[in-house]
This record gives sequence, C-alpha cells and structure tokens, in this order.
Amino acid sequence: MAIRELKVCLLGDTGVGKSSIVCRFVQDRFEHNISPTIGASFLTKTVPSGNELHKFLIWDTAGQERFHSLAPMYYRGSAAAVIVYDITKLDSFQTLKKWVKELKEHGPEDIVVAIAGNKNDLGDIREVPMKEAKEFAESIAAIFIETSARNAVNVEELFQKISKQIPPLESPETESDESFKLSRQPAPSARRCC
Amino acid sequence: MASSSLPGNPPSGLTDRSGSFFKLIDTFALEIGELKREMVQTSPTVDKEPMDLQGLESEVSGVYLQSLHCGGAGGERDSGYDSLRRRMSVLDRLTQTHPVWLLLAVSEEEASRILIKQPPGVFLVRKSAALQRKILSVRLKEDQSGTPISHFPVRESQYTFSLEESGISFADLFRLVAFYCISRDVLPFTLKVPEAIASAKTQKELEEVSQLGAGFWDSALCSQRRTSPRSCRPLSRTLSPQRTNRNREVEGSQQRLTGAHCDSAPPTLRSCATPPSFHLERRHSSGPLCFVNPLFLQTHRHHHRCEDDPPTNAVKSDNDLENAEKSSVKPLSSSQGSEQHVNKIKLNGKSRDPPPRPPPPRSMPRRRPAPPPPGPPVATTRPKSMPEAVAATRQQQSSSRRPAPARLLMGGKPSSPSITASSPISVPSNPPPPRPKKPDLEAHRCHIALDDETIAKALSRAKFPPCQPPPAVPADVLLKNNAGSPSTPKERGHQRLSDMSMSTSSSDSLEYSQSPGFSLGLAPSPSRHLNHQDPVEDSSDDDEDGDEDEDEDYGVSLETDLEMRHRPSFKARRRRVGVSLSGGSFILPRALKGRFRKVSGMLSSLMTPERRAVKRIAELSRDKSSYFGSLVQDYISFVQENRGCHTSGMDFLQTLRQFMTQMKAYLRQSSELDPPIESLIPEDQIDQVLEKAMHKCVLKPLKSVIEVALHDFQVSSGGLQQLRENLALAKTKRPQELGVDGAVPPDPLAIEKIRHKFLNMRKMYSPEKKVSLLLRVCKLIYTIMQDNSGRMYGADDFLPMLTYVLAQCDMPQLDTDIQYMMELLDPSLLQGEGGYYLTSAYGAMALIKNFQEEQAARVLSSEARNTLHQWHRRRTTQRSAPTVDDFQNYLRVALQEVNTGCTAKTLIVQPYTTTEEVCSLCAYKFKIPDPDTYALFLVIEETSQQLAPDTHPQRIKAELHSRPCAHIFHFVYRRVPNLNLCIPAIMHNGNSLQVE
Repeated sequence: MAIRELKVCLLGDTGVGKSSIVCRFVQDRFEHNISPTIGASFLTKTVPSGNELHKFLIWDTAGQERFHSLAPMYYRGSAAAVIVYDITKLDSFQTLKKWVKELKEHGPEDIVVAIAGNKNDLGDIREVPMKEAKEFAESIAAIFIETSARNAVNVEELFQKISKQIPPLESPETESDESFKLSRQPAPSARRCC
Repeated sequence: MASSSLPGNPPSGLTDRSGSFFKLIDTFALEIGELKREMVQTSPTVDKEPMDLQGLESEVSGVYLQSLHCGGAGGERDSGYDSLRRRMSVLDRLTQTHPVWLLLAVSEEEASRILIKQPPGVFLVRKSAALQRKILSVRLKEDQSGTPISHFPVRESQYTFSLEESGISFADLFRLVAFYCISRDVLPFTLKVPEAIASAKTQKELEEVSQLGAGFWDSALCSQRRTSPRSCRPLSRTLSPQRTNRNREVEGSQQRLTGAHCDSAPPTLRSCATPPSFHLERRHSSGPLCFVNPLFLQTHRHHHRCEDDPPTNAVKSDNDLENAEKSSVKPLSSSQGSEQHVNKIKLNGKSRDPPPRPPPPRSMPRRRPAPPPPGPPVATTRPKSMPEAVAATRQQQSSSRRPAPARLLMGGKPSSPSITASSPISVPSNPPPPRPKKPDLEAHRCHIALDDETIAKALSRAKFPPCQPPPAVPADVLLKNNAGSPSTPKERGHQRLSDMSMSTSSSDSLEYSQSPGFSLGLAPSPSRHLNHQDPVEDSSDDDEDGDEDEDEDYGVSLETDLEMRHRPSFKARRRRVGVSLSGGSFILPRALKGRFRKVSGMLSSLMTPERRAVKRIAELSRDKSSYFGSLVQDYISFVQENRGCHTSGMDFLQTLRQFMTQMKAYLRQSSELDPPIESLIPEDQIDQVLEKAMHKCVLKPLKSVIEVALHDFQVSSGGLQQLRENLALAKTKRPQELGVDGAVPPDPLAIEKIRHKFLNMRKMYSPEKKVSLLLRVCKLIYTIMQDNSGRMYGADDFLPMLTYVLAQCDMPQLDTDIQYMMELLDPSLLQGEGGYYLTSAYGAMALIKNFQEEQAARVLSSEARNTLHQWHRRRTTQRSAPTVDDFQNYLRVALQEVNTGCTAKTLIVQPYTTTEEVCSLCAYKFKIPDPDTYALFLVIEETSQQLAPDTHPQRIKAELHSRPCAHIFHFVYRRVPNLNLCIPAIMHNGNSLQVE
C-alpha cells in the first residue's frame, strides 16, 4: 500500500482542546509506536484508508490572537484543516467562523475542512447548540462532528471522515478526469459561504 | 577528542619493571582521568565527537583496507595496480563492464532475445516499467523445462538491494550480482559472467568490452573467448584502481561469506587467488560489502574465530595507518581490545595468508610481558618517534601518575621488560600481523565504564602468561614487515610503502625501527606519531569526507537524529556501540565482543553506499571536463563574482535552491554518473542522496559567500538594526508577557545551552543539518516545559515559549540562518517535523522582529503576513519540474589583453544569446572602451577561432561538452588582430563548429 502524507492543520481558539484531540488521536489504539516526536505540537499518525495508508502530519497552531497572523504558514499546503471550538464557549464558535472565512480566502483551494465541537462531555454547560453548528457546517460543506478528547469520543471518527474525503490518488491517467470530479464533489469545503 | 587524548599517554618513566599489571593500572588511571575530563565539559565533547567517530570508523573500516588510499584520484601508481592487472575480481569486472549487463532501459523481450543466445547463467539487469523494479534476468539451462529465461525482481529496501526471497542484502547492485556469481542462494545456479569479461586480463580488455555497451551481446567479442588488448584510452575515473581494489576487497568478503554459509559456492572460490581481503575502504565511503543479517553475522563470526587467531597474517594496510592516525593517543593497553577486534576482522578478510600459528588467546596478547626484544632496534627507534609523543605525554605525566608501564616507548629504555612483548615471536613467523592499533578514545571510555569487578578480572587475566603469541602486532612491526620482508604479500607491502612515504613524516622512523627485534614496546610510539599527524593527513587526503564527517557528527551524532528523512543516525548509534564495546574487548567475552564489533561494522557499512555516491557526485562536480562539473563550477564562480546581482537575500537563496533542484533533476536524467546512481542507491533514496550531494557541491563551497551576502542584505535593508532593537526589548519581557502560560521557562543555564546549540547550528552548511539542530533545541525546550508535569503541550504553549527563548538568546544572526533553512531545505521535508518547527522558529522570529508594532497592534503588520504567504506559495510551486535550460546559462569568458593578461568572468548567457550579444555584454562587463575591435574566440587547446556574430556560444559549449573526448576549451574575448571585424562565419580550422 502506498503511503500518502497528508498535512492536517489544527485551528481554533486557545484552550478549546486542539492539542488534546491530536494527542488522543495519536496515542489511542493502533500503532503504539507513535513516531517519537519532539512535542505535541507536531504529531503524526498513519491510518489505513481504502487502498492507501494515510499518514497524517498534524500541525498544531497557537490559538492566541497574537499568533493569528502566522497561521497561513501553518495551513498552507494542508490537505485538510480541523477547526476546533469548545461547545461550552460561544466565543470559540465565533472564532471558528473567522477561521472558515480566512481559509476560504487564503487557504489551499481544495482543502478539506472539518469542524469539531470539542468537550461534548460537558453537555450541561453547553453554549453552542449542536444544531446550529451542524447547520453551519453543512452550509459550507464541511465535516461536522462533536468530540470529547477527554473521553475519547469521536476522535478517531473525525480523522476517518477526513480520510474519506481525501481524493484517492489518481492512478492511471485515463481515469484521472473522472476520479477528480468524483472526489471533488463531497468536499467542496469551505468555499462560497459565510 | 584527539587533542585531549594526547595527555593520555602513560608516563614515560615506566620502563623497567612493570609488568603488564602496572601498565594496566596506569591505563585505567589515565582513562579515568580522561573520562572525568570528558564528563566535566560536555559541550566540548560534542565538538570533539567527530574525531571520535573517525577513530571508531577507521577502526572498523580501516581494518580491511589494504590498498590504501591512494587518495582520491589516481591511485594507479602503486603496486595495487599491478596486482589488479594480474587478477581482477568478479566485482571489479562487473563494475567496469556494467554498460554491458546493467541495461535498465531494456525490455523483457529484448532481454530474452539477448540472453537466449547465451549459455546458462548469463544474466543482465533491467528495469521493468510495469513493476517499477529492477529485474535480474538469467539464462537458464537448456534442459530445464519452461522458459529459458528467468526473471528475479530485485528488492530495494531503505539501504540495501536484495533478491526477492533472499535474506541476503547488498549495498549495491554490483555486489549483489557479484555475490550471485559465486553463490546461488535463491537462484537455481550461480550467475555466469560472459566469457569475454571473465577472461579479460587487463583493464583495457574490460574497457573494450565495456565500451560496446549493450552492443556487446551482438558483437564478436561476446562469442569470442577473448580478444587481444587494443590500445585504449586512459582509464576512466571510475575504473581507477582504487575503486577496484575496494571492490576486490568486497568481493573477498563475499567470498568468505559464501564459503561460510552457502554450500553452493564453488570450493575454488574460497581460496581465491586474489587476496580476498575483507576490508572496508579506508574512508568507509565504500566499505561495505555485503551486509546481511544475523545469519551472516553468525557465520562471520565463526570465521573469525578460526582464522583470526593467527594474528600474524594480516597484511598491513593504510587502514592501519589511518587507524593509527585517527585514533587518539592512548595507552596501548586500552586500545588493545579494539585492536584485536580489528585484527580479527582483518584476518577474516584475508584468508589468503593462512595463519600458521596457533591461535593465541585473543584477549590479552599484548599485555603480558614478553621476553625482552632485542635492544638495539628499540633504542634506535625511540629517538625518532619519541619526540612528539614524549612532549605530549609529559605534561600529563608530570602529574602524579605512577611510572608508566614499560610497554610504552616513553621511557625509552631499550630492553626494558616491557618491550618484551610477544612481537618477536609473532613477527617472524608470519606475515605482518594485524593492525597496529592506535589507542582510541572509545577504548578508553569503555574501559572506564567497566565496573570494578570487571576490571579486576581483566587485571588478573592480564597477568596470565599468554598461551600464544599475541595476536596483535604494533603497527610498526607491520610496517616494517611489509616494507622489508618479501614474505609479505607484495602488493600490500608496496602500497604500504608508498603510503608511508606519502603520508607521514614519521615514516622514516617507522622504517627505521623495522629491525627484527621490534618489540611491542615500541609500538606505541609510532602510533602516537601517527596520531599526531592525524589532522594533517586527514585533511589532506580525506579532505571532503573528513569534513563531511564532521558535519554529520555535529548535527546528528547525539540525541536526536532527525528522522527528517527517516534516516536513523547510524553514526550516532554506531558510535555508541563502538564506545561501549570496542575498547573493552579484552574484557568482554570474546564472542560478545566480536558480535558487537560486527554490528558496529555493519552499521558503518550501511552508511557507505550513500556516502560513496555523494562522494562520487562531489568529485564529478569538481571535474570541469564533465558537463555537470562545468555547470556547477560555473555557477559557483558566478555566484562568487556576482553577489550583488540579487535584490534580496531571499531572492538569492531562491536562485540557489532552484539551481540545486535543477541539478538534481539533471543528474537523474543524464548518464553522466557512471555507474548510474540507480545501481548504487535504492530508488526511494536517490533523491535524498542527490540532495545531500548538492549541499556538498554547491552550498559547501558557497557557505561563506552566502553568509556574507545575507548579512549584507540584512544590514542594508535596515532589518538588522530593527531586529536588534526589538530583540533587546523582547529580552526584557517576562515569559508571561510573551504569552507563556503555565509552562516552565528555561533558566539562564538552559538558555546558555540553547545558545550554544544555535551557534553550532550556524556552522553547518547543510540546511538539513541545521534543521536537525534546530529540532534539538525544540526538543530541549519541550523537555524543560514539561518538566515532569506529564502534560502534553501543544502549539498554544510552545510557540510563545519558543519566542521567549529566541528573545533570551538574543542572537540577531539567527534570522539569516532561519531564512537560509527556509529557502534551501529540500521541499520534500517542508511538511514534516523539520518543516513544522522551522516554521515555528520563523514565526517566532517574525514576531520578535515586529515586536514593537505587535505591542501596539497585537498583530503582525500586513507586510509580514504577505511575506509569509508568498513564502509558502513559492516553496510549494517550486516543486514543478525544473528544466535543464535554466542552469546552463552560465558562460565563462576570459578577457585577454596584451598587457594585462587574462581575467575571466562568469556571465549569464542564454542558450539563444548570440555571439554578438555576448560580445556587447563582455564589452560592458570588462569595460572595454572600443568594443568594435574585440571579438569572441573559441580556444581549443592550441587552436583558436573567432566566432561569428550570429553563432550561439552556449550551444557551441554544449556541443563541445557532448563530444566523446573532451578537449579543454575557453571562450576568450580579445582584440581582433587585423581589425577584420566581420567574419561571416566561423572560421574553420580543424574543428568545424557549425552549430546552427
């Protein structure tokens, strides 16, 4: 199986649990041999997807406003972006919308966008209704999922969904046209809305 | 370590009494002292590492090499060459005739067509387009039913080549094929080299065959048994003896291997006439032969056991010399262990001199007191070799050490007991004993590492009288033997001599000491001598490799090795292994020791194909008669002369990056590399190897120019000043003010350490190595942050911390370094961890640069943002395939004036630029007041022709380069003698250059 390296960028306010999601994803199940990395801000994990192996190169970004301007460097060249918000903080959802806008304007064209509402284990103090978030995601054709990094809920699924939306490598030239179209459909991603 | 090792010599006073016991004690004392010293200053140790490594490597690799280094290029001068002629190994033959059998472009059908006419066993290697793999196609026996041709796919793993289904891996294709010519392993029978190749007696004959390329198979030569030698051109570089020797060595080892574990090997091969030496090349660049797995190990070891005991038979080689030189000075005793190792290995390799004598116990040979050797020789020797050593030792000795054991020549007493060593015995009886080893640091360390008990054991063992003659003989002995005694294998002997003469000043003394009575006691001195000279020699002949090593060690040796390219730092590992084991050999159980040794040997051998390839490319890049070489050299001189033609540092770096990328593409597409790189390096590694080679050929020579240029841009743009100010401001901020929240910031001590790492980083020319050092810094920061908290910090915490650290380090020069990495790092690495942390460092630096504004606005200026945007766009688009056109655009033109002679400039000249345009460019560049009277001439050797205005110099150059026999040519801009300005066409004299 061919290994494809996919750069995935994590965006979102500080404190929403970006790093926790990645740590959960990378450390749970599967390969216990997490590639020894320097720190949790860059992690990798390889998962099978169809006929391919997807190696996620996960770039965490700093969520503080002051670092916002650096984000382009991090998300450039990404195959996917995971924008995380905290369901218990409405503000973080507003920030998420800003990120979507920015990606739309400056991000890679065919980037797969996933929206993750983290901390869904704290449902009783929720500030962002799931319905609202979900509708927003649909409006921009993004993946939507609520997760709990703490309880390991839906983290794996989040990345599986991303994997599925990554267009398979165009193999033979003849087919390329078709597969290109097909793959594009599901992931029109964050374009043209909001 | 080299420097510190000097002090390690045993006190000179020792001489008399002393038994080995005292010596040992002494040694330990020294070693412990050494260890302490090392432990105290950590950082220095790091710096020294390269040396250690070298020592180790040489120890491992040096062993094998017999034909010494003839240095880089032409080694044909010595006897090695003669011997070559007489006997060429299969590997030599294969290597030299690869154009015949390595037909990557040939289809399966064509391969079958070729092979069907051949006898069983004849083969070729092609590449299957469908499988994208190399295939070994072999002619089967007639009687075998089914297809007459069988195809075996070659598996390429990260570092090796092997046949599918076989567990035996090889460093490159040549070794693989050579092996299968000797052993069938998974094949139905062994491969057969075409008769014309197998029976060729001279290089010329091989060359003749080789020149036919694929046409060989249809030629008369192929069917003929052999042809008479024709006159030929000089050997090509690739055919140089040096290489062959190496090959031969390898082959030897392979044979050995075969004998050991393949029954299929024809018995005759085992005792091959050619000295099968199993040596690594002295620069490890080529060493490895075949690297196999445990199985191999096992057998290997076996061999050793039986063979190595006879200490004597090892032939001395440069390696020894090298080892000696490289290893740091140290008491002999400590080094013994390693020496023995070496010996072992060597012995194996050289099955050819059978060791007559009973195997001595490997472990302690040298230590035990031997009968006093003849005094005179000793005495004589001493004076000469001593001085340096003595001086070095003295200081140390002055300290309260107990008198050193006699064995060191220090004391200088001729007949002291110490000298007694076994040498007398061993020497006479056999050919030169295995290597002289020089004491090396590693050994030191290991010794130290042992616990008391072990030491005690060792001591007690040491006391035992040796049952047999000590295996190891001092280098001197070896040298002498070789030089003086006919009994030694001639070729080696010769080489030795030549080496000595060329390499060291001490050679005289060594020879001198050659007298029969040579005792072990003497050994140390020579070795010291050698050590002394080390630096010099190294630098002179090992030149590049030498620094490469350094760099590598620097960047990678310790902890993290950047997985950047998933390439484990073999070096680092090897080094560790070496350290812990090699020295301790006399103490460790032999078997264990042998095994470790082997492991480290294997690791080192793994490094080789890559290094070899890099080295070859680097050589090619300096060879201006090659197209690649002229491109690179022209570019380099252009950059050196035209620093100012770039608008910014970034622009400058981008053109460099582009050039490297293009040259990589060129190397992959062209056939200038011979043998083709695909035969040496597994497919998926080629790009990395090329990248590394480009760093070496391009960045290394330009490093200082680039640094200066970047600095100038930084100054002229005012960026430096701003950065300085903002750094100073940021430095006053507490971590919290920079956004650090919760994590523990590094204390001043740690900051100092980080600064040091950054300083080291600046010394690297390779962007990858720089990045690897940057990663070490990041790792360190992370370690401090986490500080046992167990918490995983993400970018929210890391980036502010990194910013804080950069501010505290207060190193404005880091900015250009980061820029250098950002722009020059191999694009394929940009998405990985290296790219991530580099981006973070860039971001942190950008924040600091704009610190004041950021304070006000809390955001980066839009300008900074744009820069970042652009950067990524650029770096990602750059991957598009480069065209060869772009980098051919340099032309070196010399201005020849009657009065002032020649001055040359490198100009940018497009392929379709006409001579007329070039002339006006020259007029401008050379500031010619009366350009009408000047014209461009092509000078080829003695002939010179004026170029017509409408010709294209670049195309002429290309055409000249593509000629089979390269002549040296120059483009010269000079006054036209007769003022006949318009000469309609190229003047034809001799060569017609009608390019159009």
